[in-house]
Amino acid sequence: MTRLNRIGLSALLMGASLLALSACNTAKVETGSAGAAGEVRATTYPENAYFGDTHVHTGWSADAGQDGAVTSPEDAFRLASGEEVTSNTGQKVKLNRPMDWMVITDHSDAMGTINEIRAGNPEMISDPFLNRMYEGLKSGDPQVMRPLLGELVDRQSNGNLPRQMMDPKWAISAWKKTIEIADRYNKPGRFTALIGFEWTVNAGGGDNLHRNIIFRDDATRAGQVLPLTTFQTMDPEKLWAYMAAYEAKTGGRMLAIPHNGNLSNGRMFEETRFDGTPMTPDYAAGRQKWERLYEVTQMKGQSESHPLMSPTDEFADWDRWDRGNLNGVPKKPDSVRTEYWREALKSGLRLEGTLGANPFKYGANGGTDTHTGLSTFEEDNFWGKLKSVEPRKGRWEPVVVGRAGATGYRGWEQAAAGATGVWAIANTREAIWDAMQRRETFATTGTRLTIRFFGGYDFNAADVGARLVKAGYAKGVPMGADLKAPPSGKAPTFLIAAMKDPAGANLDRVQVIKGWVDAAGVTQEKVFDVAWSGGRKPGPNGKIPAVGNTVDLKTAKYTNTIGAPELSTFWKDPEFDARQKAVYYVRVLEIPTPRWTNYDEVKFGYQMPDYVTRVHQERGFTSPIWYSPS
Amino acid sequence: MLRRLLRDPLVHFLGLGALLFGIYALVGPPGPAGDRIVITRAAIAEMARQQEALGGRPVTKDELAALIESRVRDEVFYREGLTMGLDRNDLVIERRVRQKYELIAEEEDSAEPSDADLEAYLRAQPERFRQPPDVAFTQIIIPAGGPGKMSPESLAVLRRRLEAGADPLSIGQPTQLPLQVNDTPLDLVARTFGGPFAEALLAIPVGGWQGPVASSYGAHFVRLDRRTLKPPPRLEDVRSEVQREWENARRERTRAERFARLKKQYRVVVETPAG
Repeated sequence: MTRLNRIGLSALLMGASLLALSACNTAKVETGSAGAAGEVRATTYPENAYFGDTHVHTGWSADAGQDGAVTSPEDAFRLASGEEVTSNTGQKVKLNRPMDWMVITDHSDAMGTINEIRAGNPEMISDPFLNRMYEGLKSGDPQVMRPLLGELVDRQSNGNLPRQMMDPKWAISAWKKTIEIADRYNKPGRFTALIGFEWTVNAGGGDNLHRNIIFRDDATRAGQVLPLTTFQTMDPEKLWAYMAAYEAKTGGRMLAIPHNGNLSNGRMFEETRFDGTPMTPDYAAGRQKWERLYEVTQMKGQSESHPLMSPTDEFADWDRWDRGNLNGVPKKPDSVRTEYWREALKSGLRLEGTLGANPFKYGANGGTDTHTGLSTFEEDNFWGKLKSVEPRKGRWEPVVVGRAGATGYRGWEQAAAGATGVWAIANTREAIWDAMQRRETFATTGTRLTIRFFGGYDFNAADVGARLVKAGYAKGVPMGADLKAPPSGKAPTFLIAAMKDPAGANLDRVQVIKGWVDAAGVTQEKVFDVAWSGGRKPGPNGKIPAVGNTVDLKTAKYTNTIGAPELSTFWKDPEFDARQKAVYYVRVLEIPTPRWTNYDEVKFGYQMPDYVTRVHQERGFTSPIWYSPS
Repeated sequence: MLRRLLRDPLVHFLGLGALLFGIYALVGPPGPAGDRIVITRAAIAEMARQQEALGGRPVTKDELAALIESRVRDEVFYREGLTMGLDRNDLVIERRVRQKYELIAEEEDSAEPSDADLEAYLRAQPERFRQPPDVAFTQIIIPAGGPGKMSPESLAVLRRRLEAGADPLSIGQPTQLPLQVNDTPLDLVARTFGGPFAEALLAIPVGGWQGPVASSYGAHFVRLDRRTLKPPPRLEDVRSEVQREWENARRERTRAERFARLKKQYRVVVETPAG
């Protein structure tokens, strides 16, 4: 192609958009595992937690591309499944360990048109020019193709394209290309590539009300619709209608996961509909039906808990991005009340009383929201949110979100987080999606600790041990579910088992966080320490003392000489009141470990300012178990 | 609300993207004086189709009229912008054009690989496509006190009890790790037990209680029941994966070649900073 001049640019734009070239390999999608004999074995109940990221943008997202990201969905899936790829800054990158699954959630928009000439569609190749194009594509010879492409562009600029090419039914967008890539990388039993997109609502100047949409299905179903964009609507009720229409049309399934309530300036859990009118029972039922999980940890801070709402919880103050929204509009002081998961879980109980359905019945989810195409949540292998903060000396410094000043967020504040552990009966699209749908998930800040959490009325201390999981499923319900009505007089009992990441740090403690609505209709919360390492006893304030700290900042190393590799327990709610709605979730904390900033300091041989956080306690949160008196 | 939306930078980027990537293209080419804007039948049909794909129902007359009006507006301002050179020196536009160009140029190399191509590719790196061995084993964690604190005699006693058929659960320390693992690929075992433990399973003999074998959960006695190495893969078993990798390798190769070739057509001057 000749050098671009202004006219050539226009021609290129027009031609490119109508380019009559098909996507690669639109032939039959194989769902069988390439190379593995036989089918994927499913277990009777979930035996493994599968780890992945529900939130990845590649260079095909408009904002990532604008930042200079050049990765494609292909690169993203390759990295996630364990391959080495080239980063946006030309460096080689590879995960320490592959993921089990991943979703690409680009802000999809039409990238141009690539169509089925290659397939030799008779309607197409009845035209002599298109026939030559078809032959050229078959030959695979660039010497033949290039002049054909040039001819195509010329024809476009002269309004001389064959009639067949103008028919929009041949237009295939980046969406179609993305979902075909997902099908190519989906390897049941080994790596699940889920299809998804992000519906990116930035209401009224940057209030983050985004949702990620995840399909259960393959490209043949997902390709029957286009991703919803905010040009169509910003109203979640219309999103839910779109989701219902997809399911009715294709027989497929979708679920939605909101994120970054912390950047919504109070709007994420506002107790109104999007247009400001009071919440209705339909709204509450719809939100519960379609929005199954909430992203509580990601690179742009956490949305699990806030010290203002949980002043007695010494672990509520972590990864805080709470100064304003995406555009740097400062947060009003009261906004925190309607942004964080823990508060929403409690408010949801209260709203259920008046609306008949709990609109905030969210399970736990974690993702990265990377805009580099590289999903990295390993502290010693963190590639940042944007191309501009891929590993290099000094990447702690620039503003990455918002504008410079009080409400801007700088490089060092990015968290190398998060991930979701999914308790599924197999590593397949259907099994993983189904587990997300029933909320049998836990979020982590990027490590692969695992947490089991069961609720029931017949557990006892003898159930703790090798048969804990079996007893959990047989006599109770797992995380994400509802406790059945209690036999009279009985308080709920719980079985909890936490295991460290086999390649990571020991565990500090396991806690149950309970929220409830009291007799006066006021929401309450309490944190219970239920299991901890070593022989620590509660201090004068009733809290288990800190576990210690083995981190050596000079080398970014720690030792597992404190903490425990596993913590399991039986727990009974000592403050149970059968008349009060309640919600319980488990939080697990690791011993302190170096944060990516400290790894950077050691790797690049320099010191960041004192105010940069260097050490943290990675953690996990299960989906809740809900109790209702009715 | 709409005004605020239009001022949103992200909306600008998305709007620009939509503009560049297909909406403008479906409009007819500019006339000699650039004053003729044609919203073609094909473009209108495409608008309707997209709206229907999103809304789940056919587009209404009013909706279509609004979409068309919006398209005309886009086109008018776009052309005015071009005459002012607003497409120049805009990194966003440049990057999107680059992205489109690279995608299109990729289509030049579109021939399907032959069986011979794939066989050769597979033969050059069979380990890459070989499945890891399957292992089946039983394990326990040596009780508290551990091998460091236990005398070799005590360890031997434990081992003998296991060999004699004692219930492993009665000997091992409580753990959530599975007592028994059935014919599972070694790399998936590593995801649960950690890499070093899985590596050790490659080395210990089959049958009999072996150990201590270390993991980050403790020290284990392990009885390896089966270890099944997989044969070098045949193309028919791994074809889709091999083809995908072959195409990926080709894409990267031709991308580099293409850039090298194109760059030769230009004279690149990089100014040095003053002072």
